[in-house]
Amino acid sequence: MSVTDKPTARVEAGPPRLQELEVTKKDLWREYGPWVVTALNLATFFAVWELIARLGWINPLFLPKASDMFAALWEGLTTTAGPGAVISGSIRDHVLWSLRNLAVGMVIACVIGIPFGLLMGANRYVDGLLSPYVWAISSMPRIALVPLLILFLGFSVQMQITVIVLSAVFPIMINAWAGVKTTDKSLLAAAKVFGAKRRQLYTKVVFPYTLPFIIAGIQQGIGRGLVGVIIAEFLGGSRGMGYLLQRSADTFNSPLMYAVLFVIVVVSLSLIQLTRWAEARIAPWRRLEGL
Amino acid sequence: MSKTIVAENVTVGYELYRERQRLTALADITLSIDKGEFVVLVGPSGCGKTTFINAIAGLVKPWSGRILVDGRPVEGPGPDRAMVFQDYALMPWRTVEANVRLPFELQDHGLSKEEVERRVRHYIRLVDLEGFEKSYPYELSGGMKQRVGIARALVSEPDILLADEPFAAVDAMTREAMQAELEKLVAETHQTVVFITHSIDEAITLGDRVVVISYRPGRIKDIVEVDLPRPRFSYDVKALPEYGALREHVWGLVKDEAIRTARGAWT
Repeated sequence: MSVTDKPTARVEAGPPRLQELEVTKKDLWREYGPWVVTALNLATFFAVWELIARLGWINPLFLPKASDMFAALWEGLTTTAGPGAVISGSIRDHVLWSLRNLAVGMVIACVIGIPFGLLMGANRYVDGLLSPYVWAISSMPRIALVPLLILFLGFSVQMQITVIVLSAVFPIMINAWAGVKTTDKSLLAAAKVFGAKRRQLYTKVVFPYTLPFIIAGIQQGIGRGLVGVIIAEFLGGSRGMGYLLQRSADTFNSPLMYAVLFVIVVVSLSLIQLTRWAEARIAPWRRLEGL
Repeated sequence: MSKTIVAENVTVGYELYRERQRLTALADITLSIDKGEFVVLVGPSGCGKTTFINAIAGLVKPWSGRILVDGRPVEGPGPDRAMVFQDYALMPWRTVEANVRLPFELQDHGLSKEEVERRVRHYIRLVDLEGFEKSYPYELSGGMKQRVGIARALVSEPDILLADEPFAAVDAMTREAMQAELEKLVAETHQTVVFITHSIDEAITLGDRVVVISYRPGRIKDIVEVDLPRPRFSYDVKALPEYGALREHVWGLVKDEAIRTARGAWT
């Protein structure tokens, strides 16, 4: 067999096929430059903020000094306080509480959303039966259901988790459904030719094909779920990031409020980044095929 | 010589559910293929070549007539037949190795684990992909992907190899090389091959017989015996005067069909 597109192992004359290049300053800049730029960018942002606040152009109640926010953040993250001692503010406890609820909600959303989405994709009777409800609830603003949930569950953790589940379950379900529906026909044909039984078509083709869709669904679900967390905590209970936000606003503690917002940004960014990383690990072919 | 594939008055097509129409792809095909023969089907796009190969594979059922493989009517896919696909149809989440191993995972071929691994290694080496066992399809070039497809089709050592325009998506140079490799492989493994192509050159350089199929519904227009020495790529058959004559002849058969197809595509 000839070697058409394999690298040639031996070259008689001329330069070696693969040469190590020296690492130049340009390479270093290409690699670390964006980080340096981002760091400078953020530093400038906070410096300008600090300056504006110090000049007193804006009421400190609306815009505290950046340094005050960081101080509140530091205090809130390094100390713990009972839920009653909100105003002195332990951000850490509230963040952990919210994340715990988010985690519970996401697990429930996955446990419901993945199997139902797969079933709906695979079976048109199940699809026909469930899709009116799924599309109805998934297209409406879920927040509209909150008063009803409060009626049923009161201002309880259960209510909060239900809000999270309702926010997150539909993107997961619809993505799983779409994955099954769009499974590459030629992959299915190939599996059939090589002897796949019906069950194997699902385990060896449909499910692996759908997996990255599900991860994308979870990614969207986390985004929606976070909205659910904050909203639910705005409305009731005495713990969580949403509650702390509300509480700090009520007590005119703006450094704390900004600190909580900062934490929310960091938390959502990290969660999205985590699912991106998971997607890249589990389905590296998808990024490259531009799917 | 024994006949391994026999098609008797096969008419087959597909249903378009939305339009509530039934489209006849192939009409009244009668063809028998010898064991170890390399048969190439040429014809314009949409003439039902793929449907015919799918019927042999057992993916679609003939509406009337029947297809026998080794004397038994085709009921569905079986381990005696394997297929190479135009779009490779490799599982993107599987490495080269795992893709080649797929037929053994889907169907019990009665081989021990060690034998399976030996076979997988052997066929990866045969298609010259040693060192790429752990690569994923997206990391490979088109030609390399199709080698994986070929290894997967050969690994279970089926009697019949079906190939649906396997080299249509690879570049012209790689294509020539892959044709030579396929000829060599099949000479070693003695498979019966049913091969679809649009390329007259590919048909003549590979086939023992070239079956020309007419525009839809596809019928056998003519069958051309290709009496060129093998291995074709070491003899450089393209330089022989007979080659030119054959090419002229097949093109004469295909030309009208191709023109009709092109017209059909415009209207």
